[in-house]
Amino acid sequence: MSHRIISLLLGIGIVMSLLLMAGRFGGARVPANQQGYEPVQPIAYSHRLHAGELQIDCQYCHVAASTSRHAGIPSGSICMNCHKQVKATFGVVRQEDEAATAEKRPRRDVMSPELRKLFTDLGLDPSKDLKEQQVTQTVAWTRVHRLPDYVYFDHRAHVNAGVSCQTCHGPVETMERMRQHASLSMGWCVNCHRDATKNGINGKRVNASIDCSVCHY
Amino acid sequence: MKHPHPNHWRGLEEWEDPTSVREQAETEFIDTPLRIGAEPGRRDFLKATGFLVAASSFTACSRPPEEKALPPVVQLEGDVPGKSYRYATVCGACPSACGIVAKVRDGRPIKLEGNPAHPLTRGGLCATGQASILSLYDSHRVQLPRSAGKESSWDEADSRIAEALSAARQNSGAVRVLSSTLTSPTLLRQIASFVSAFPDGKHVVADPVSASAILDAHERTHGVRRLPHYQLGKAEVVASFDADFLGSWIATTEFTRGYTESRLAEQAPRKAAWHTQVEARYTVSGGKADERIKVAPWEVSATLEHLVAKLASLSGKAFVPGSAAPAADVMAAIDRLAQRLWNARGKSLVLYGANEIAGQQLANFANELLGNYGSTLDLSLPSLQRQGSDRDLAQLLAEVAGGKVAVLFVLGMNPVADLPLSDATRQAFERIPMLVTLAPREDETAAIAKIHCPDSDPFESWGDAEPVAGLVSVQQPLILPLDKSRPALESFAKWAGKPASAYELVQAHWRESIHPRAASAVPFETFWHKALHDGFAEVKSNLPVAGAFATGAVTPLGKQAAATAMLQLYVKPGMLDGALAYNPWLQELPDPVTKATWDNYASISPAKAKELGVKNGDIVRVAVGDTALELPALVQAGQHDALVAVALGYGRKISARFQDFGPKWIDHRATTGANGLVGVNAASLLSMEGNTLSYLRPGVTLATTGKRQALAVTQSHHTLSVPENLDPGGPPRPIVQEVYLSEPETFPAHDPEDVPELWPPDHPYPGHRWGMAIDLDACTGCSACVVACQIENNVPVVGKDEVMRKREMHWIRIDRYYSGDVENPSSAHQPMLCQHCENAPCETVCPVLATVHSSEGLSQQVYNRCIGTRYCANNCPYKVRRFNWFNYPREDKLANLLLNPDVTVRSRGVMEKCSFCIQRIQEAKISAKQEGRELKDGDVVTACQQSCPANAIVFGDMNNPESKVSKWVKNPRRYRVLEEINVRPSVHYLKIVKRSGEKPGEEHHG
Repeated sequence: MSHRIISLLLGIGIVMSLLLMAGRFGGARVPANQQGYEPVQPIAYSHRLHAGELQIDCQYCHVAASTSRHAGIPSGSICMNCHKQVKATFGVVRQEDEAATAEKRPRRDVMSPELRKLFTDLGLDPSKDLKEQQVTQTVAWTRVHRLPDYVYFDHRAHVNAGVSCQTCHGPVETMERMRQHASLSMGWCVNCHRDATKNGINGKRVNASIDCSVCHY
Repeated sequence: MKHPHPNHWRGLEEWEDPTSVREQAETEFIDTPLRIGAEPGRRDFLKATGFLVAASSFTACSRPPEEKALPPVVQLEGDVPGKSYRYATVCGACPSACGIVAKVRDGRPIKLEGNPAHPLTRGGLCATGQASILSLYDSHRVQLPRSAGKESSWDEADSRIAEALSAARQNSGAVRVLSSTLTSPTLLRQIASFVSAFPDGKHVVADPVSASAILDAHERTHGVRRLPHYQLGKAEVVASFDADFLGSWIATTEFTRGYTESRLAEQAPRKAAWHTQVEARYTVSGGKADERIKVAPWEVSATLEHLVAKLASLSGKAFVPGSAAPAADVMAAIDRLAQRLWNARGKSLVLYGANEIAGQQLANFANELLGNYGSTLDLSLPSLQRQGSDRDLAQLLAEVAGGKVAVLFVLGMNPVADLPLSDATRQAFERIPMLVTLAPREDETAAIAKIHCPDSDPFESWGDAEPVAGLVSVQQPLILPLDKSRPALESFAKWAGKPASAYELVQAHWRESIHPRAASAVPFETFWHKALHDGFAEVKSNLPVAGAFATGAVTPLGKQAAATAMLQLYVKPGMLDGALAYNPWLQELPDPVTKATWDNYASISPAKAKELGVKNGDIVRVAVGDTALELPALVQAGQHDALVAVALGYGRKISARFQDFGPKWIDHRATTGANGLVGVNAASLLSMEGNTLSYLRPGVTLATTGKRQALAVTQSHHTLSVPENLDPGGPPRPIVQEVYLSEPETFPAHDPEDVPELWPPDHPYPGHRWGMAIDLDACTGCSACVVACQIENNVPVVGKDEVMRKREMHWIRIDRYYSGDVENPSSAHQPMLCQHCENAPCETVCPVLATVHSSEGLSQQVYNRCIGTRYCANNCPYKVRRFNWFNYPREDKLANLLLNPDVTVRSRGVMEKCSFCIQRIQEAKISAKQEGRELKDGDVVTACQQSCPANAIVFGDMNNPESKVSKWVKNPRRYRVLEEINVRPSVHYLKIVKRSGEKPGEEHHG
């Protein structure tokens, strides 16, 4: 009798778990795959404008990509290298200039609302001269690319081997808002490593190992 | 007897009955909670199934939580996020003041390493030093000044102290500063100028583990109160009388490096290196010695005196010993020893450990007769690592008892717990009108202090050190203070009425007093920056010259009455005087000799245990006079029957935090004892007779109590053995192997590398092939590597209960094997870590391929794949795999700042093991790639290798024939453990060199 109960309970357990799993795989997605993740950021920073239109080099802001494991998210002081001067888009500034000339009045300071947010977040007072002030705070960005804790990815090794940023991060120069382009799953990494060992990177022979301990330790 | 005694044994149990230990080893991995008690039932099975189904369904349902990314406020130039920087500074864990290099990652110091350029230690760092970094991230540190137990402010504390000081100035009240040895010249000068401002001011230096007698003896024999700088590296013959210089005596890291260097078996011409240890207790040095003479505790000094008499007669002088001659066999050994020492005149060393002036004078005489002063003992550039004076301490205690002290500052000491204070003296301490302690934590003295002014951590403040005269170091801060503590240097400056920052004070002192002593004339800025960069500077000594040896000062010992039993109080390597008793790494570090963790105990000899009828863990009552303590007993092979040994440094208030330590589950037993603390404080058994702190007490009695307190001893854990059926009735496996110096000049090469293989080689290793070699002859068992690995690899501490269940997590352990005479064995220490076998038995049994072989010869463990079947651990012949039974405590947010960000923090249910520091290999490989060069030998240094004071470990690429490890592997002493099972480990061992005796015959065949 008791054996029947066990078999019955086990059967129910297995069916239930299969049902649950079937539900999960409806979207055909590995757990924790964040591909396409595009969170709203506290400041509407545009990679399209900076990297695409203005053609600022990625490593101007992400300073450590070729020297450290982390590419680094730029500190407020790096933003302020330019934005001490640049407080609004060129169009808005010119419009104000033209209006001031037409109305024969002194030119008013124009400031884009997003940059105003940046200045406030960095602990600066937008109503005063920015050149006189020190950055005292930092912006709490929402993280887009995140690997699990048991994966170690080193930007240096990839950047110095000639892998372009876009290979993993996608067409960043066209993204108004940052989006996770690739799946960043292990299979995706391993396929690229296999391909690089076989075909090289930009014609250069590389040894992209697929040992577990290359990433997991 | 069914089985013969083994050649090497791990404990007395194994000596007596090797079979049962072997059987126990075979079932070591079978004790799961499900098997305890009844057979696994239907309910257990259902529970497990249900849990698995639910767990697997739910874990797949979640998206990762949204996470914030906070960039730095200001990106400093040259500071790259995610990169480690190394800064040279000074270790503050004990007065040895070793030179260290701190690894700072993203603004946080996370690892300490020995400074390879430092002239004293040359790269090693002991377990205590390694572990001392936790002090910085200790959330139990006192954050703010406290007055009468309540939080206060610096202003209030300073003004109350100022009031007390001005009252003392007016009434000529006694102002005293009591400190342990301070090596900082700036702080010493600051305190000197502070106390000199009072009509009755004095700085009293006293050490809980005192070497006062050595200094006092030199005052009598050489006219200067100094501690000689012992140069073990220059000594070929060492005779140590109860001085555990490899374990805990003065500056062990430096001594270990010198000792192993002077004994290298491969150097040509081979030196006549010899070490005799005369002792009653079984110490690290005693186990390592070429000859260990076991004498009764009261005979150690008598044996020394008779050695001195022999040396005197060899040098044509007369010296009549006053003590009774020891037994004939000891006298014969002493004769041989005297001859050895005499033959190595000027290259020998006689050390005496006891804090006893008469005996120390004899040791001085012996060294003088041997012409060792100026070669192996340096008095012109003496060691400043122990400066305490017992006489000054006794005087201070008398003053306190007499109610004469108006203001007492306590620094780097915990007199209430460190000293044998009578109730009256303790009450007198409480009555001191102004008792100020600068302890960083709430210790016993802080409990009675009027004001508690916490000192900053050495990693938060500027400072300096002069461990040996003429060798100065700068201690530089590595992080902004984490709390509102204040460096002692600044506190004394403030109380002297001349407030200044520690940086200004140190620099000013260096400008005025240290820079003028520089050997070559360089501008101050250059000198300072070089010292800061290198971590040390060598300058001229400003000490007066020592006098000539005053033979008249040496007097024969009096006749000593033979006692029946003696108590010896000692300190354990690692724990030392107990200032770091808050440190879980050190508490869980197995003692190099007894392998006990988390407790102190009354160590007794096997015969004494039999006589009393006690076993390990039976509580005995240890009484001297009116004072008695109850401690668990521990049976120690090789110890003299008349000795009871108890470790100091336990039963500290700062260990009360371990009351709730370890994973909480049904069967959980407390890590702390009945007193709510770890161990029992034995300082009350010390004595202050004749102005000397005495660690040896006659007239001790032992009584059984019938109570028990289990000890967490790792001796029998992870026993290496081979199933009987592979070799029925065969000889015991030679896990530790030895060669004899009596054999030919070059050691016979070990059996050939290659056993014929049936299969074509699986692993071609096209690039690197990582391997390690460990010199067992150099290893002293000090366990620095164990703690280094634990910190580097985020290895958790599990608590006493879990250790008793054989679940300690150390990735590298040190197996201690005894060999030789069971009454007086010698010990061999074998560091045992994952052997990264080519034919790894663990890899073939993993059902999910969570452990696989890499193309560079590593046995990789992939945590995210592991499902915790533990098959691999069961199949590992070396027993080096560790299973996470729980999510071990990571609740302390502050302590988590110390985790190595380059190593995964493993969760429950995952197997882990030594990875050959793969994170360091990766870092070195990528850095080399970044710099566009090939990886060089020495680029990858594992954590254990780095910390080893004995230089016993090398790691590198075995595909590179020029690498150090390849050269060590070609050494004829090389062998591999359990070679005959052909798992082909990547870790090679070099055999121990036996300098005494002949190779034993083959009588052990069963």
